Amino acid sequence: MIGKVLSMRNSGYFVGLILIGFCVTYPFIVDAEASYLVYFLFLTFIYVTLAQGWNLVAGYTGQVSLGQHAFFGIGCYMTAITWRAGWTGYLDPLAMLMSGIGAALVAIVIGLPLLAKLRGDYFALGTLGLGEILRVICINGGGLTGGAVGIGIESSAYKSMSPYYFIALLIALIALASLWLIMRSNIGLALVAIREDEMAAAANGIGVLKYKIFAFAVGAFITALCGSLHAYYIFHIHPAGVYSLNWAITPILMTILGGTGTFWGPILGAFILAGAFELANIWMPELHPIFSGAFIILVTLFLPDGIVSFFAGHRRGILRKLSLFNWIVQKT
Amino acid sequence: MTGFPSFAVFLKILINGVLVGCMYGVAAIGLSLIFGCMEIVFIAQGAVMILGAYCIYWMFTLTSIDPFFGFLLILPVFLAFGWLMYTGLFQRVAKAGKNPSLLLAFGLMVLLEHVMSLVWSPNTRTVATSYSALALGLGSINISFTRLMVSLLALITTGLVFLFLKKTMLGKAVRGVSEDMRAAALLGISPIWVSAATFSIGIALAGIAGVATSITYPFDPYFGFLFSLKALIAVAFGGLGSVEGALLGGVILGVLESLSSYTISAGWADAVAYVAFLIVLILRPRGLLGRSVEKI
Repeated sequence: MIGKVLSMRNSGYFVGLILIGFCVTYPFIVDAEASYLVYFLFLTFIYVTLAQGWNLVAGYTGQVSLGQHAFFGIGCYMTAITWRAGWTGYLDPLAMLMSGIGAALVAIVIGLPLLAKLRGDYFALGTLGLGEILRVICINGGGLTGGAVGIGIESSAYKSMSPYYFIALLIALIALASLWLIMRSNIGLALVAIREDEMAAAANGIGVLKYKIFAFAVGAFITALCGSLHAYYIFHIHPAGVYSLNWAITPILMTILGGTGTFWGPILGAFILAGAFELANIWMPELHPIFSGAFIILVTLFLPDGIVSFFAGHRRGILRKLSLFNWIVQKT
Repeated sequence: MTGFPSFAVFLKILINGVLVGCMYGVAAIGLSLIFGCMEIVFIAQGAVMILGAYCIYWMFTLTSIDPFFGFLLILPVFLAFGWLMYTGLFQRVAKAGKNPSLLLAFGLMVLLEHVMSLVWSPNTRTVATSYSALALGLGSINISFTRLMVSLLALITTGLVFLFLKKTMLGKAVRGVSEDMRAAALLGISPIWVSAATFSIGIALAGIAGVATSITYPFDPYFGFLFSLKALIAVAFGGLGSVEGALLGGVILGVLESLSSYTISAGWADAVAYVAFLIVLILRPRGLLGRSVEKI
């Protein structure tokens, strides 16, 4: 019985449920203000969400975007501007939703020309410019964006760490659930088909541009939610900070480290990389970034397909790909 | 808004833009060569460049070797460095696709940046030679001597790389591999050997760009990434994988930047460059000099 319940098919759900249960109860067990682990988990939840946002666009749909930090920044700025204007309050779900929708709209408007015209590396280069353009716009935005100094908001609103923790957890769970549902629907099938062969997908009647823009917009929405929470957490946002390329690169590293185009890969990658960075920061603050660089190089050398492939085994991965391919062929 | 410049000022802006653009060009050629062979954007190019700049800085301040002479010492070292980097790191993951190579380049960039900041401290450094402040008068136009030398260096380098690609056997092999690796391998060209050669030439070019940076700009360990981005834009202007296009792209970028920082404001110069970059990407995705034949 136990063997059956813990079979390969179900063990994923079980591990997931246990982890979620632990994450929900943990802040009640310890003092959330003093616990370093609560802070670490808060940060990691944000990274899991960001990594899954990129994974949807690049891992599943095959459109390698290097401009996710643009959407992160839009989320930050929309939240800060609406709060300063008095339209929304502290940790307002409405503001977060609006930030997400705003970023998704920007993604649709920008994605229309970029996704239609640019393929592969050219798309990556095009999106790289996106964040830089937005950063310059925010620096020169005058009163609305506060220029290079940015926007400072009332930090007296801060009461406790727990709401941040739970909102980050909620966002991460929403992102994971929507990714899970998308990838198990016809949409997910279409996205993977576009990644594998765009021409063949179009020939089979998939509206390539429509699906690409959908993935890009959902990725932007998820990313902007994190940006919005970041604005509430940091209380002072400035262009160099929120449009930092780190917000795009770190999640990408986490995804590739864990395994691109897999559900568990970005989660695992986020926990491992964030953990490695934090541990290095505690034990050898001087050498921390050097360690991080060396760590990335070592993992790439020895696990080029990501950590998940190490667990799944190469053979199973190939088999799964083949069966998915067969399924698509039968379906279309 | 400063309005439209008079002709003399315009000429001055133009010359300045071309001189700066030549530097972007050299870094871009290296990037372009590496892209042609390995199909990856070598994001650590800027960090390697700054490493070159620090080597020059060390030579100059410790032993007062002139930067232009130090350049000759740096060249073989960087060629060997590139060779080691390819055979030690990139060749090992070449089979696993593009993502690991990209990740490797990023890891290398982080590592280099922080090793440099540990060794030379994160403070901004300059190489102040006796001729740093020298300017050549040409009518009413003053041209900085170092910038002129640097762009001459850039032009000579581009010419040499161009001749190497067109005239030598190895150069032809490099072109063959970047056009079609499998067909080249069928003709008896070893892709690994050629890739290693290309990679080390790319790294050496980054070293040359580093020498150029050290004598014209103040620099710090993290300055390189910005340069990587600019080189990338220059490469995209000229079309990925084209050598003469990369130099032209660099010059266009330099002129564009210096023109827009005069007519609009320095704060918007970056945005103008990026917008132009996006427009070129969308209208002419193969670059301004791009080949019309699509790679399969």
